[in-house]
Amino acid sequence: MDLLENYKKAWDNQSKETDKLNSVEIYKLAKSKSSSIVKWIFIIGILEFVILNSMYFFVDMDAAYAEYKKLGLYNFVFYSQFFAYAIIFYFLFQFYRNYKRISVSDSTKVLMKKIIQTRKSVKNYVIFNLGYMALIMFIVVVAEINLNIDDISAKQILLVLLLSLVVCLVLLGCLLLFYQLLYGFLLRKLKRNYKELAKLDDYN
Amino acid sequence: MKVRKELEKKFLDDFETNQNIAHKICRIYTTNQSAHNDLFQEITIQVWKNYPKFRGDSKFSTWMYRVALNTAISLYRKSTRRVKTQDFDAVSFKIKATDYDDTEELQLKALYKAIHLLNDIEKALIFLYLEDKPYKEISETLGISSVNARVKMNRAKEKLKNILNP
Repeated sequence: MDLLENYKKAWDNQSKETDKLNSVEIYKLAKSKSSSIVKWIFIIGILEFVILNSMYFFVDMDAAYAEYKKLGLYNFVFYSQFFAYAIIFYFLFQFYRNYKRISVSDSTKVLMKKIIQTRKSVKNYVIFNLGYMALIMFIVVVAEINLNIDDISAKQILLVLLLSLVVCLVLLGCLLLFYQLLYGFLLRKLKRNYKELAKLDDYN
Repeated sequence: MKVRKELEKKFLDDFETNQNIAHKICRIYTTNQSAHNDLFQEITIQVWKNYPKFRGDSKFSTWMYRVALNTAISLYRKSTRRVKTQDFDAVSFKIKATDYDDTEELQLKALYKAIHLLNDIEKALIFLYLEDKPYKEISETLGISSVNARVKMNRAKEKLKNILNP
């Protein structure tokens, strides 16, 4: 007899009485709070939208707009914001739709795919938001230089450009590290399992 | 309200009769009692939350295998913590020597211990094999082709055999 068949008999005969719960206990469990990773992804996703958008409250927008006016960028910044918000709402919608589509009664592979997609829509949102901020920052720096072009030397221009580049990179690096830790912690196992499961199908 | 109450009652009936599925999955995917209880709780929540979507075109147990395995593999977070296997064995296998055949008890213990060494996907495959599920159901539950399911199953079985009988 096959070795496993032998063990299978032990499996089939294992006691069914252990840890039996009655319906009252099951009821209590069913009504308790979930701590699934899908729930965490949703909470973190919402937090990201809130935090990134509330950053504007900490910046003195009147002063910023006065500065934009001085640089002749007011119209550009003003109108580009409509554009940016349209895209942000699109991401928000996509995130919500992906989240809603997650269903535990899907097959394992489809479920994993949907979870990864939901997480990706948050990532795209964050990348877009940071890209937009970086673009505005870059344009402001260039405009500042342009405004004061007569008073500053080429050396100073280079210094300012280099400095803003370094600040940008450091900020981005910190953020990426934070993300790696946060989502790595949440999704490393899921991604590994997805790879393992999809391995052969993708080659067929 | 009445519909809700009826649904609750049906769920409780279905779950109570099939709770063994969840218990076995928890035993496979966790290695200590608190993680076991935690995963069991999450499975109960997920089965209840998705129960209205269960249409009854398949057997409840078939559907529950899927939801419970998905919860263990994809939704449950804490099982990445490695806890010594002894913790679990001590609680769950209080030897009831008078009731059970000793060798089978030992075999079962060895089997669970060996399964703990497999990865999450292999665990699912072996579990479905032990539960006598046909390949069609296995490939549908996991969402992979039946060829893939067969290949993966053979590898998982080989691995398990090597652990059990090195």
